[in-house]
Amino acid sequence: MTVLLEVKNLTRIFGSLRAVNGVNFTIREGELVGLIGPNGAGKSTLYNLIAGAIRPTAGAIVLNGMEVTGWKPYRAAKAGVARTFQIPKPYRNLNVIDNVVVSALMHHRSVAEARAAAEGILVDFGLSDYLESPIGVLTVGLLKRLEVARAVALQPRLVLFDEIMAGLTPSEVRSMTSLVASLPGRGITVIWVEHVLYAIMNTVRRIMVMHRGQLIADDAPEKIAKDPTVIKAYFGEEMPVA
Amino acid sequence: MTACIALVVIGPSQHMLDVILLSFMWAGLALAWNIAGGYAGLISLGHAAFFGIGAYTSSILTVKAGVTPWIGMWVGAVAAAVIGAILTLICARLRGPFFILSTLAAAEVVRIGALNWTSVTGGAEGLMILPTPSAMNMVFGSKTTYAMLMLIYMVVTYVVTKAIEGSRYGYYLFAIRDDEEAASAAGVNPLLARTGAMCTSAFLTAIGGSLFAQYFLFLDPTNVISPELSFQFALIPALGGLGTAIGPVLGAFVITPLSELLRSYFGGGAAGLHLAIYGAVLIIVMLYFPSGISGALMRHLTWKGDSAR
Repeated sequence: MTVLLEVKNLTRIFGSLRAVNGVNFTIREGELVGLIGPNGAGKSTLYNLIAGAIRPTAGAIVLNGMEVTGWKPYRAAKAGVARTFQIPKPYRNLNVIDNVVVSALMHHRSVAEARAAAEGILVDFGLSDYLESPIGVLTVGLLKRLEVARAVALQPRLVLFDEIMAGLTPSEVRSMTSLVASLPGRGITVIWVEHVLYAIMNTVRRIMVMHRGQLIADDAPEKIAKDPTVIKAYFGEEMPVA
Repeated sequence: MTACIALVVIGPSQHMLDVILLSFMWAGLALAWNIAGGYAGLISLGHAAFFGIGAYTSSILTVKAGVTPWIGMWVGAVAAAVIGAILTLICARLRGPFFILSTLAAAEVVRIGALNWTSVTGGAEGLMILPTPSAMNMVFGSKTTYAMLMLIYMVVTYVVTKAIEGSRYGYYLFAIRDDEEAASAAGVNPLLARTGAMCTSAFLTAIGGSLFAQYFLFLDPTNVISPELSFQFALIPALGGLGTAIGPVLGAFVITPLSELLRSYFGGGAAGLHLAIYGAVLIIVMLYFPSGISGALMRHLTWKGDSAR
């Protein structure tokens, strides 16, 4: 499979903190990759760098053979990078379908076409009962689904999901998981940050682990679960007894 | 629309006609402000600068160079749009109250500039347009013609607003207003969209300024570039309903007659009493109808619709 995303020696320093420190990895087209790590590991900073929300201190991001390092978010979006936000960011004064129309307009010439596409996506995402609803009536689970629907409506090459399962009920986690798993079939490559590990472990075939700004492991889920460095990062080292 | 024409043609008294005409003008100006303030979330308290630029440009061209206001108003509108673009590029990086204050300050700069550039603007003494009625001079003998002109102005700004609302661009403006980060992640260039909204708004506001000058035939910096004027531009849409096309029209048709009425009842007696009452009414409306008159009407209509079912 062809390479879609190449991250080379990516570094971002905040003051004296190396939030992302010399990260290298490659994502192939059609992959579904999990990205895990303890809080503060640098996952969100990595996302912000790839999506253009912040500029790297050093390193390069290459998307589909084109260097996109330091591009503004709207340019990165046009180049095919979509993202969700950890805390959903809906347009509060627009109803559910109009929230998705904004994204759908990127690849549709008229508002009417974008609206039809948005409706199709919302139906796929089980939000057909809420097309004209105001944002205020949505539960956390539905807001997260809307967040994912907006990202998919951009018809991206690559989507970065940030904790889309947090706060969902087990049945919501199941339906969201199958939605995410269906995306490579739509031609969308996925990187997925998640703390709900059981959802991710059974869905992806590759997991990257970040700790203190660095990538400490990149392997299949079963191997990651047994990796001593990963376990150490999550649970800490044994206390030396004096 | 037909109701509006009817209002004018029925042949109301001269004072009534004055109120109607001013309502049209304020509705147009409030609609123009609303494109930036209501749709793009660029709350400006400096729109008097654009109004003044429009009024002064067409008037100076008429008085000093004999250019008809029919051409001068477009020159003023383009000038205002350019200033609007520059202002947005500089100030749009400021957020919330800081942006608002920067627009207020920018308008003061324009006002003080107009006061001191006496050779061109006439300074504090003002600028008089010779009242020779002719269509070419855009000076008319009858108020009915002015009323029609203001009505056209209102309708044009309304149509522009509606066109933006239903377009791709309208969606982008709403998205940026509600969440800039999310809109940007959806491929919308926030600075470009904001600048476009401010330019359109400034352009239409300046046209209103030219029409105002042609109606009153006199202008000085305190009456066309005052902060009070800027507040009024913002107040009418806020009262009528921000980010809706009908809101500013409703607001203008409530506020204009109200202030004229209060002025004629109380203006002669206790000085300033009409303004105090006016202020009190505004506060009460804002308190009880936070989404404006149009929002309150919508709620009322939906509620009625629900209970009918």
